[in-house]
Amino acid sequence: MRALSGELFKTVRRPAVWVCVIGLMAAAVTIGYALPWVIETFTKSAQGLPPGTTLADFKIALYPQNFVRQTLQQWSTLGGVFALIVGVLLQGSEYGWGTVKTLYTQRDGRLAMLLGKVGAMAVVVLILAAGLFAVSAAASGAAAILDGKSVEYPDAATIAKGVGAIYLIFGFWALFGFVLATLFRQSAMAIGLGLAYALVIEVIIFTVIGSLGGDWVKQIQQWFPLANTGYLASSFGRVSLRGLETGGVAPYRDATHAVSVLLTYLVAFVLICSVLLRRRDVTS
Amino acid sequence: MIVAPVQLRAGMATTTTTSAPKAASPAAQADAVVATHGLTKRYPNGITAVDGLDLVVRRGEVYGFLGPNGAGKTTTLRMLLGLIRPTAGTANVAGGTPGTPGSLTKVGAIVEAPSFYPYMTGYDNLRLLAIYCGVPVKRVDAALDAVELTPRARHKFSTYSMGMKQRLGIAAALLKEPEVLILDEPTNGLDPQGMADVRNLIIELGKGERTVLISSHLLGEVEQMCTRIGVIRKGKLVAEGTIDELRGSSTLVIRAQPSDQAMAVLSGEVGADKIQLTDGGAFTLSVDVARAAELNRRLVQAGVDVSELRESERSLEDVFMELTGTESGL
Repeated sequence: MRALSGELFKTVRRPAVWVCVIGLMAAAVTIGYALPWVIETFTKSAQGLPPGTTLADFKIALYPQNFVRQTLQQWSTLGGVFALIVGVLLQGSEYGWGTVKTLYTQRDGRLAMLLGKVGAMAVVVLILAAGLFAVSAAASGAAAILDGKSVEYPDAATIAKGVGAIYLIFGFWALFGFVLATLFRQSAMAIGLGLAYALVIEVIIFTVIGSLGGDWVKQIQQWFPLANTGYLASSFGRVSLRGLETGGVAPYRDATHAVSVLLTYLVAFVLICSVLLRRRDVTS
Repeated sequence: MIVAPVQLRAGMATTTTTSAPKAASPAAQADAVVATHGLTKRYPNGITAVDGLDLVVRRGEVYGFLGPNGAGKTTTLRMLLGLIRPTAGTANVAGGTPGTPGSLTKVGAIVEAPSFYPYMTGYDNLRLLAIYCGVPVKRVDAALDAVELTPRARHKFSTYSMGMKQRLGIAAALLKEPEVLILDEPTNGLDPQGMADVRNLIIELGKGERTVLISSHLLGEVEQMCTRIGVIRKGKLVAEGTIDELRGSSTLVIRAQPSDQAMAVLSGEVGADKIQLTDGGAFTLSVDVARAAELNRRLVQAGVDVSELRESERSLEDVFMELTGTESGL
């Protein structure tokens, strides 16, 4: 508890953490709702759309009944990047500032300090996840009110599951950043590699080998993190526009599989960190 | 030749007579607050930073750990705090294995530069450490007072000067009211006034039962602060003792003519084995300096002209240079 209290004490005082939290919420409102609403409200062109369809028809994705699936589909990876940065910062800066020496010469052992830090990170990630859902819910309600539509949110259980899903996804990314920062004992390399993986590496790998065809590619891919965050986000369904699904094909695996795989990654990351911290010298 | 009652380690190139390394006495071992046995740190690149170090720091001592840059001081201190693992050997600090809660609760330390969170104030940094250590937060004010940092306590750490950072580091080390203080070059980066302040603080802290282990390459500060000194060179402890023991006893320097007649008189008075003829033509006598007047009288009575007669005391710097083969303070 001492370690957790200490980690929370310094984490809530760290401006960079709040920049990430507020940055994600601001992005969710502007990129997720404000810009699409403006474009879909004021753009009259229907070029490239199915006959009888206007851009305004797509605004249904912005309304409260769709905010859970919309939030998950839009922010499982992009929001994950914010969580990754939080994870890297919480661990990598300790090496950058040299405070890792201060930390490990206080009272508790390294494992206790690690668990305290992971606990504090879990709190920040929960704030990220809950905050994202809160601002998305508010923005979707505002969109509906502005358009004179009914404000009908999904039931509480669906919202709670949605928050839980994004919490797990963000938790994965935060711990991924944390383990990279522990491995490289710095922030820059960890953020670079983490972003590369989140935005490029897994996508490229499976795009390239996917072109070879065959079900075996999906058999492999189903164990990779980005695929599983996608399965989990897609398990909440896709926004339906006049009977047409807008979110692409159905996920290859279900939510249970995705949750199991992501939880396995979380446990593995904590184990890797504990081994690295316990066995390695703090400084070279 | 000067025979210094100092434990000098074998293999040292020194003009001082060496004695075989002695293990600490059972009484010293029993009173040891810091004890290492064969402590070794060898890095994968083949560099041996610390090589079979046997160190005993007794309760209540202010122990100076001296050595030139790269001698292995900081590596040793890191091992004593559990920040790095020894390749071989054992260490016990305040009754526990380094880096374990049993040891850490009784040890306050600064290793290299004091490291704190730049976005927090000095006060909040200490509050944080108080939380980690499980000590009452009210101790923060006392620790800040002890290092005279209270006026700047509410300013961010990133705005602190090097001297203030160092003082905050000492305050942090004091927060646990530790039995053992381990300070790695605590006056680094301080201006002369800051150095004097920190020195005085450490002297105060070393009074009573508290043990202070302080590493430095600044001989002046060690001389003023420490009750006992260990000198490390290339990872090995090459000498250990009090400052007086390290310096050895004072000698008499006599310059007299004719020198062969002077030599004859002095040999008769003190014995030839206690006389050394220096390159400059002076005699160095390892005798009680109280005999200066008597020896002067004998020489004059024998018709020898005495042009110089003085007491010579080796400085700690001389000893350090002999032991480490370096310039002091480098």
